[in-house]
Amino acid sequence: MLEFHKKKPKNPSKTEPEKRIKDFQEIYSQFDKNDSVEQSSRCSQCGIPYCQIHCPLNNNIPDWLRYIAEGRLEEAYQVSASTNAFPEVCGRVCPQDRLCEGNCVVEQAGFGAITIGNLEKYLTEIAWEKGWVKNLSSQNQFKQKVAIIGSGPAGMAASAYLTQNGYQVDVFEKNDRAGGLMIYGIPNFKLDKKIVERRTEWLLESGVKFNLNMEVGKNISFQDLEKDYDAILIATGVYKARKLDIDTSSVDNSIPALDFLIESNRTGLGDSPSNNKFLTAKDKSVVVIGGGDTAMDCVRTAIRQQAKEVTCLYRRNKENMPGSAREVLNAEQEGIKFNWLSVPSKIISDNSTATSMTYKVAALGEVDESGRRKPVDTGVEKQIKSDLIIQALGFEPEDLNHNFKTNIELTSWKTVKVDFKKFQTSNPKIFAAGDIVRGASLVVWAIHDGREVAKSIHNFLQSSKIKKAS
Amino acid sequence: MKDHPLEIYIRNKQKLKDNHVYNEKHEHDNCGVGLVASIKGESRRDIVEKGVEALKAVFHRGAVDADGKTGDGAGMMLEVSNSFFSKQVLKMGHRTSQDSILGVGMIFLPKRDFGAQEKCRAIVEYEIIKAGMNLFGWRQVPVNTEIIGEKANYTKPEIEQIIFSPKETTPDIEKKLYLTRRRIENKIKSQNINDFYICSLSTETIVYKGMFLAEQLSEFYPDLLDDEFKSKFAIYHQRYSTNTFPTWSLAQPFRVLAHNGEINTLKGNINWMSAHEPRITHPFFNERIDDLKPILDSDASDSASLDAAFELFVQTDRDMPMAKSMIIPESWSNRSDLSEQLKSMYAYCNAVIEPWDGPAAVCGNFGDWIISGMDRNGLRPLRFILTDDDLLISGSEVGMINIDEKNILKKGRVGPGELIAVNYKENKFYESSELKELLSSRNNYSDWNEKTIKLDNILSKDKIYTPSAEEKDNVFQIAKSFNLTLETLDLILDPMVKTGQEAIGSMGDDAPLSVLTERYRGLHSFFKQNFAQVTNPPIDSLREQVVMSLKTRLGNLGNIVEEDSEQCNLVLLESPLLLDNELETLKSHLSKFTTEIDCTYNINEETNFLNEIQRICSEAEQAVRSGSQHLIITDKNINTDRIALPMILATSAVHSYLIKNNLRTFTSLNVSSRECLDVHYFAVLIGVGATTVNASLVEKLISDRFKKGIYENTDYPQLIKNFKKSIEKGLRKIISKMGISVISSYRGGRNFEIIGLSRSMVESFFPGMSSRISGIGLDGLEKRVRRQHEQSFKSDNVILDIGGEYRFRTNSEAHAYEGVSIHMLQEAVTRDSYNLYKKYTSRIYSSKPIQIRDLLQFNESKNSLNLDNVQSISEIRKSFVSPGISLGALSPEAHETLAVAMNRIGSKSDSGEGGEDSRRYNKLKNGDNPSSAIKQVASGRFGVTAEYLNNCSELEIKIAQGAKPGEGGQLPGFKVTDLIAKLRHSTKGVTLISPPPHHDIYSIEDLAQLIYDLKQINPIAKVCVKLVAQSGIGTVAAGVAKAKADVILVSGHSGGTGASPQSSIKYVGLPWELGISEVHQILALNGLRDKVLLRTDGGIKTGKDIVIAAILGAEEYGIGTASLVAMGCIMVRQCHSNTCPVGVCTQDEKLREKFGGTPEKVVNLFSFIAEEVREILASLGYKSLKDIIGKTELLSQIHYGSSDLDNLDLNPILTKIDDGKIYDYHSEKKRNEVPQTLDDQFEKDGKDFINSGQKIELTYNIQNTLRTIGTKISSVITRKYGMNSLSEDHVTLKLRGSAGQSLGAFAVKGLTLKVFGDANDYVGKGLSGGKIVVQPRNSFTQPSHENVIIGNVTLYGATDGRLYASGQAGDRFCVRNSGALAIVEGCGANGCEYMTGGSAIILGNIGDNFGAGMTGGSAFIYSDQKNISDLMNMETISLYEVDNQDWKNHLLDLLKDFYKETKSKRAEFIIENYDSEIKKFAHVVPDEVIDKLEFPVTKKSKIA
Repeated sequence: MLEFHKKKPKNPSKTEPEKRIKDFQEIYSQFDKNDSVEQSSRCSQCGIPYCQIHCPLNNNIPDWLRYIAEGRLEEAYQVSASTNAFPEVCGRVCPQDRLCEGNCVVEQAGFGAITIGNLEKYLTEIAWEKGWVKNLSSQNQFKQKVAIIGSGPAGMAASAYLTQNGYQVDVFEKNDRAGGLMIYGIPNFKLDKKIVERRTEWLLESGVKFNLNMEVGKNISFQDLEKDYDAILIATGVYKARKLDIDTSSVDNSIPALDFLIESNRTGLGDSPSNNKFLTAKDKSVVVIGGGDTAMDCVRTAIRQQAKEVTCLYRRNKENMPGSAREVLNAEQEGIKFNWLSVPSKIISDNSTATSMTYKVAALGEVDESGRRKPVDTGVEKQIKSDLIIQALGFEPEDLNHNFKTNIELTSWKTVKVDFKKFQTSNPKIFAAGDIVRGASLVVWAIHDGREVAKSIHNFLQSSKIKKAS
Repeated sequence: MKDHPLEIYIRNKQKLKDNHVYNEKHEHDNCGVGLVASIKGESRRDIVEKGVEALKAVFHRGAVDADGKTGDGAGMMLEVSNSFFSKQVLKMGHRTSQDSILGVGMIFLPKRDFGAQEKCRAIVEYEIIKAGMNLFGWRQVPVNTEIIGEKANYTKPEIEQIIFSPKETTPDIEKKLYLTRRRIENKIKSQNINDFYICSLSTETIVYKGMFLAEQLSEFYPDLLDDEFKSKFAIYHQRYSTNTFPTWSLAQPFRVLAHNGEINTLKGNINWMSAHEPRITHPFFNERIDDLKPILDSDASDSASLDAAFELFVQTDRDMPMAKSMIIPESWSNRSDLSEQLKSMYAYCNAVIEPWDGPAAVCGNFGDWIISGMDRNGLRPLRFILTDDDLLISGSEVGMINIDEKNILKKGRVGPGELIAVNYKENKFYESSELKELLSSRNNYSDWNEKTIKLDNILSKDKIYTPSAEEKDNVFQIAKSFNLTLETLDLILDPMVKTGQEAIGSMGDDAPLSVLTERYRGLHSFFKQNFAQVTNPPIDSLREQVVMSLKTRLGNLGNIVEEDSEQCNLVLLESPLLLDNELETLKSHLSKFTTEIDCTYNINEETNFLNEIQRICSEAEQAVRSGSQHLIITDKNINTDRIALPMILATSAVHSYLIKNNLRTFTSLNVSSRECLDVHYFAVLIGVGATTVNASLVEKLISDRFKKGIYENTDYPQLIKNFKKSIEKGLRKIISKMGISVISSYRGGRNFEIIGLSRSMVESFFPGMSSRISGIGLDGLEKRVRRQHEQSFKSDNVILDIGGEYRFRTNSEAHAYEGVSIHMLQEAVTRDSYNLYKKYTSRIYSSKPIQIRDLLQFNESKNSLNLDNVQSISEIRKSFVSPGISLGALSPEAHETLAVAMNRIGSKSDSGEGGEDSRRYNKLKNGDNPSSAIKQVASGRFGVTAEYLNNCSELEIKIAQGAKPGEGGQLPGFKVTDLIAKLRHSTKGVTLISPPPHHDIYSIEDLAQLIYDLKQINPIAKVCVKLVAQSGIGTVAAGVAKAKADVILVSGHSGGTGASPQSSIKYVGLPWELGISEVHQILALNGLRDKVLLRTDGGIKTGKDIVIAAILGAEEYGIGTASLVAMGCIMVRQCHSNTCPVGVCTQDEKLREKFGGTPEKVVNLFSFIAEEVREILASLGYKSLKDIIGKTELLSQIHYGSSDLDNLDLNPILTKIDDGKIYDYHSEKKRNEVPQTLDDQFEKDGKDFINSGQKIELTYNIQNTLRTIGTKISSVITRKYGMNSLSEDHVTLKLRGSAGQSLGAFAVKGLTLKVFGDANDYVGKGLSGGKIVVQPRNSFTQPSHENVIIGNVTLYGATDGRLYASGQAGDRFCVRNSGALAIVEGCGANGCEYMTGGSAIILGNIGDNFGAGMTGGSAFIYSDQKNISDLMNMETISLYEVDNQDWKNHLLDLLKDFYKETKSKRAEFIIENYDSEIKKFAHVVPDEVIDKLEFPVTKKSKIA
C-alpha cells in the first residue's frame, strides 16, 4: 500500500479508435491480477477518504482497494457489495473523474488518481466469475408486498435490498425488458447489455417478480397497486426530452436523443429495426446538440452506425461541459468534431427534412447560477450540414399524475415531492426514488436512492406491522 | 474576623474534593535520604552531629513554601540515647540504673483540642502500662517555633515524649511496643480524633521530624544539640512534596526506614496486602494479630505504606536485609550474571509477596541491622563511603558530610537492586554481593522451588497450534456483538499477528469519547491507562527488558510472614496470557481444583446485569469455599439467545467481592473473554484483578483469516506466537509506562482512570477508582449491550462493519476533523476569507459532541460590548503557540514555515524535539525570523547544545506527549536524512531512540535540578514544563511550580503525533478540559497560581475552544493540528509511513516538493481564530482574554450525553474556589529566579576574560551544594564568542571537593573544569565541547578503579567535548551520548545506553545491561569480568577485538591524553604494558554503524 509515489497510475488498455468504432463492444479491456494489485496498492489509505466522501454511495473504497492489493478479493467484493448493489455498473458508467477519482488525495497531490472505477469493475467481474455473487436470501419471510414501478437502477437496487430484507417484490416495467436506461439508454460500448441482463437474471432468481410491458395507468391502474401492495415505490425515471429553443416541429429528422439511443440498443439486442428511417445515422451528416453524457452517447453511437460525419454543437467551451471529460476524449479519439461555443439558431429544411442548420458563435460571459460561465452572443453566425439532428439537451419528468391518474404531490419541476430522508411522499405508503425525485442524474445516484428508499420502506413496513399488532 | 489562610485552604480543598477535582491520593513526594552508622555499633556523639550536617547539605532536594520558612518536611531517626534520656528521667524525679532499658514514644498530639489531648494521653498510658512497662511520664519536647513558617506553626502539633521502661527484659519488647502502637492508633482513630500521630514508640529508635527546612532540624529540636545525645546510627531524610499543606506526620523517617522515591505499585500493594491479611499468623502475635490490622492504612503515603510493610516483616522475625529482598527485590529472572542460588531465593521471595516497585532508595534500621538499598532499576542515587574510624556514610549525594579524603577507605555506590548493610552485633560491614550470598544460603531455596508447578513446561508439550476446525461457527456474529469491525481486524489485529508488534498510528484521536458516542464500545475504552510523569519515571520496557517480568502465580497464597517451603507450592506461568489450548491444558491438569463460571445469560429471562453479577459472585464464593483454587470466568456461551456480561465488569466485581470476603488469596481468577482482542483489554482485565486472560475469539478470527490466505507466507503457529508476543510486549509497555516492572504488582492495582462510567457503578464494582465526570451506568450499559447483541445476531449480513473509530468513514463515528470542514478551513486561509472560516466553525459547532467542551456553552450576557472595545487581534494572537512538532516528523519546509509565521505575528512556535538548523538562528533576507521561539528539551536530547539553548526565549521540558505519555519514541533509520542526522548529531540512516524517561528526571527534585540547569545555560529564557492531563496532574503541577518552572503546559490526550501505538493514542491521558481546570484550581489552592503561566493544547481549532480554555484557567493556547491543516494537511494519517502526499509530514524529497503551505496561510488561521475570540469576548461583555480566566460562571453545561447515561456531570471542571486573591494573568512576568551558583562569581573573578577574551584560570573550594558549575560561564562564552570558537583550556576552573549535581552541564569548547575530589550525578549533561576532568585528591590512597568518583547519568545528551574521570562512574554512564569522548575506570548498570555517537573508554568493570539501544559511537572496555557479554544487551551491538593497528594507535593516543590529565595509575599501567594489555580490551560497536567506522574492525571477539 501507499505506493502512489513509486508506481504510475494506469488504466486498462482501450481498443484503438479505428477498430472500436466498427462495433458496439465495450472499449476498455480489464485489469489482470498484477495490474489490479499494483494499481490498488497505490492507495494512500487516507485518514479521511475523500474518494468515499465524494461517492454518492459512500463506498468503502480504501478498504476494498486494500483488500485487492492484499489479494483478499472475496472480502474486497463483500465490502464493495455491502454498499453497492451493482458495482460492476458503477465501475463502467460512473464519471469517476468527477467523483471518487477526481477527489482522490493522491490525484490532488499530483500523482494521478488511483484507478478506482476500473478496479471496481475488475473486482466485480472476478466475483461473478468465482461465484461469489450469491442469490439474495433472507432469514425473514415477511408477508408484506412491495410494488416497484420502473426497473431502472433505482427500482432494481430497491428490489434487491427489499428482497434481501424478506419482502415480496413485484416490479412493473412498461418496456419489454428490465433495466431502464441501463438497458435502453446507455450504449453497449459503455455498458454491455449482458451485464445488465445478468443482474436482471440474478434478481429474478432471487425472487423478484418482473411484470414487463405493464405500464401503470394503461395496463394496470395505480389504484389497484395501492389496494394490493403494502408499499409502492415510484422509480419511473425522467424521459421527456428537453426541447431546443428553436422550433424543430416542422422537420422529421430532428429527434430526441433517447429515441435514437433506444433504437440503437434495441437493434443491438437483436430486435428488428423500426420503420422510422430517421432513427439511424448511417451515411448521414449528424449534428448532436448538447454537452452532457447523453450527447456523448449519441455522437459515439452515430459514428458506430457509420455516419458520414458527426459534429457536436455545444454552447459553452470544453472546460465548462457538464459531461465527463473522459467521454469527450473518447469521442474526440473516435473522430467526432466538436464545435464549441455554438448556439443553434435556425434549421434550414427541404420540405420536412432538415438539410443544414445555422448556429451563432458565442463567447463566455459571467458565471451563472449553475456555477459555469454563461454564453454570450458574438454576432457571428455559421452554418453546418445536417441530415440528422439529435437533441441531447437533457430530460424532464413526464406528467406523472396524468399518466397514473393520481394526485401525487409534485414539485414545481414536476418531480415527485418526498421527504428526502425517507424518500416518502405525503401518502405514507407511497415512496419515490431516482430521477423522478431528483431530476435527471447519474446511475450511481439512482442506485443510492434505491438503497436508501429500501431501508425507509423496511422501517415503514416494520413499524406499521407493530402498529397493527398493538 | 479574617479567616486564617490555612482555614481558607482547608475549606477550598474540601470543595475541590466534593467536586471530584482533588484527591489526596494524588500527592507525591520525593526527597534526599541518607544514613551514618557505626560499624562497631558504638553510640557516638559525632554520628548525631554528622546527620545534622548532612541534612544541611541536601536542602536543594527539598522545597520551600512561599513564606520561605515552611519546608516540606525533614527528620532524623536515632537510637534512644540512654545517656540523654536517663538525664530526662532524672529531671522527672525518677532514677534509672545504668543498664536499664529506656523506651520513648515520640508523639504528636492535637494542639488546640485539650480534651482530645487528654483522651490521647490516657489511651497511650493505658496501653503502655498494659504492655508491661513502667511509666516515667510525659516530657514536653523543647522546640524553637521561631524558625518555622507561619503555616507550619499553624499546623504544628503538641510534641511530647512519653518515657518508660520495661518491667522485664524479654526479647519481645519491640514486638510488644509495635502491637501497643497499633492498638493506640486504632483506638484513637475509632474515637474520631485527628492530628494524633506516633512518630516512634520503641526502646531502640526515636524519630525527630517536622515541617521545617532540613538545615533547621537541630535548631527546632535543641535536644539534638545536647552533648549527651549519642547514637550508633542516624537516618535522615529531606522531603519534597507536590502539595503545600504542612502535614507534620508526613515527614520522614518513619518507624523503620526512610524512603526516597515513589512506589508506583502502591495501589496494587495495598489491595494485595489486604488480601493477604486474613492469612497472616505469627506465634508471638497469635490472636492479637488482628490488632495490627489494617497493616497498611488506606490513606497513607507510598513511603509510609512501604515503611509499614517493612515493619510487619521485621517485627515478624525477618531481618532488615531479607525484608528488603522480599519487598524490593532486584531483577533476577532474565539475568545471566546471577548465581542459581540467588535466583532461587528471589523466586521464593516472589512466591511469597508481590514486589513493591518504583524508584526507591531506602535507608532502614531495625534490630541488629542498618541497611541502605536500591530498587531494581536503580532510579535513585545512593553513594556510600567507609571511613577509617568505622563509619558507614551513605546518602543521595556524595559530599554531604565533610570527610577528609585521607580518612576514606572506600567510595562506593549502591547499584540497581543492591543492598549494603552493617550488622552491629557482628561489627561488620556487608557489601552487596556478600550480603546476597549470606541471605541466599540461609535456606535451600532451590529445593523449595521444586514444589512450584511450572505450567509452561507442561504446556510446551501440548502446544499444538492448528487452525480451529469448527467451520460453521458464528464467529462473526459474536465479533459483531462486541463491535469488532473490519477496521479492528485490519488495523489492530493484523499488525500484531503479522509482525508481533502493536499497530502504529498517527495524528492523535479525534473521535468522540466513549461516553459521548451512542455506538457500542467495549468497556475497556472507558479506562485510561495511568502513566508516570515527573514524580516518577516510566521505564523502557524494550531496552531495559531485563528488569521486566510477566511471571504469573496461580493458586492458593499463604501466610506472608512465615518462612516455609510450602509457600512455593503453587502454579507458575511465564505470562498471564493463555492461549485457547493452554487454557484447556490448565483445566484438565488442575481439573479438580478448577471451577468454571458462566458469565452469559438468556436474553429472555427476567434478569439483568445486577442480578447476574450477584449470581456470578456468589457462585465464585461457593466454589472457593468448597475448595476451588482456580476460578475460570467465561463468556464463551454467548449465542443468539445468550448475552454476555462485559468481562471487565464481571472480573472486577468478582475480584473485589472475593477480597471483601477474605477469599481472594485462596484462588486464582482466570478470565476467558470473547471481546478481548487488543493489549489494552488485557491490561484492564489484569488491572482489575484477573490472574490470567484468555482471548477466546481471537484465535478463531486468526484461523479464519489464515484460511482466507491473508497471512500469505507465515505459518499458523508463528501467527499465534506473534499475537502472544505482541500482547506481552504491549503489557510490558503499559505497566512500564507508569514505572512498574512486574505484572504481579500491577495486577489488581486498578492503575486506570475511568472516564464516562457512572460514579455509583464505579463505586460498587470498581472500588477505589475515580470516574470524575460520571456517565453511563449499569442499565445504560446493559441496554447498549442488548442492542448490539440483537443487531448482530438478528442480521443477515455476515460481513463485519467497516469501522471508523481510527479513521474517518462516512456514516460511522464522528471525527473532529472531517473532509468538508478541512476543505472549508483550507479555502478560508488560502482566500483570506473570514466568512468562510465562520462557515467552518459553524459546521463544527453544529456537529455532534466529540469532546467535553462540546457539552458546554457560554451563558448569555446582558452586557455585551461593541467589538471595537475588545483587545486587538494582534494582542490576542500573542497568546497563541504552535506546539512542539519535531523536525523529523514535519518536513523542513513545513517546520520553518510555521516558525516564520509565528514570529511574524509575535506568537511562539515550538521547535519540538530534534534540534534546529543553526542557519535558522539568523534572519532571512526578507527579514523573516525562522528560529523557533521555544526550544524543546525532550528525553532524547537530540541536538540540545549550548547554542540551541541560547537561541530562544523559552525552553520547554517535554515530560510527556499527549499521544503517548510515558513512552519513548523511535525515529526509524529511513527517516534519518542527512539534514536530520546533522541536526541530531547522529548518522544518516541509523535509527534514533528517545527513551521513555528523561534520564535526569526520575523525581520532582530532579526536575528542579534540570530547571536549575536550563536557567543557568540561558540566563533569560523562561522554562516551561509540558505535562499531559491525567487525574492528579494538579498536585504534579504544584510540585513543578515549586521547582521554579515559569510556564506549565497541560496537553490533552488527543494531541497529534507522527507515530504512536494505537492503544496509546486511544487509551492514555485525559482531555485538556479536565487537566487544565484541575491544575488551575490546585495551583490556586496552594497559593502557587501566580507563580506560573498556564498553557494548554490538544485539538484546539476554533475561537470557542480558546475562550473555553481561558475560562478553565489557561493563559496561552497551543494550536497544532489546525495549523498543519492550514499548511495543507488533509489528515491522511500516514505520517509514520513517510508518505505524506502533501509534503507536510515527510522527509521524502519527492513528496516534500508537494508542500504548498505558506506563512500567510498560517497567519490567516491565527488571525481568524483571534477575530472569533474577539467576537465571543464582546458577546460575553469582556474586553480581553485575561479578564475571563478562571471565570467558570460564564459557562454552563448544555448537553448531558445520550438518554441512556446515568448522569454526565461537568461540575468537576466548573467548580471554582475562592482564594480571595486577584491575579494579574497574561502579564509580562519576570522569570522565577533560582539560587545562585559558583558561576555567579565569574562576573567578578572572570572580568578579564569577559572584557577582553583573555585566557584565565580560577581556583575554588567546593561542596555538593554548589551545583551546575560551568554552565552559566558557558552561556557567557556562547553568547559572546560562540559555542565552538575558543581554543582548549581558554577558561580553566580548578575545583577542590565534592561537586554538586550537573557539573559542567552544557559546557562549551574552551572551558575546562578540573575537579580534585569527586562529583555527583549528571556530570557533563549536554556537554557541548567543554572538558571535564575529575580525579581524586593526592591524599586519597585507595586504587582509583575500585572507587566511585562520579555519579549516575553522565554525559546525557552530550554532543561534543571530553570527560576524564579517574574512578568509577555510576549507572547510565554516557546515556544518549552523541559525540563526546569519555574515559572512566568502571561504570554501573546501563552503560552507554541509547548512545548514538562519540566514544566511551571504560578501564574497569561494567554493570548489567551495557549498550542497550546503542545505535552509534563505540566503546572500549578493559575489565576483569568473566563473560562480559552476559552483562551486555546484545540486541543492537557486537563485540570486536582491537587488533587493527589504526585502532590500537587511536586508543593509545586517547589513553595518553587521559593519563596526562588525571595521572591515573590504571592508565599508566596499561600504557606501559600496552602490547599485552590491549588484548584485554573489548571493542563494542553497534551493528548499524559497522560499515561507517573510521577504521575496519575484523575479528569477532572470542570473549563473546
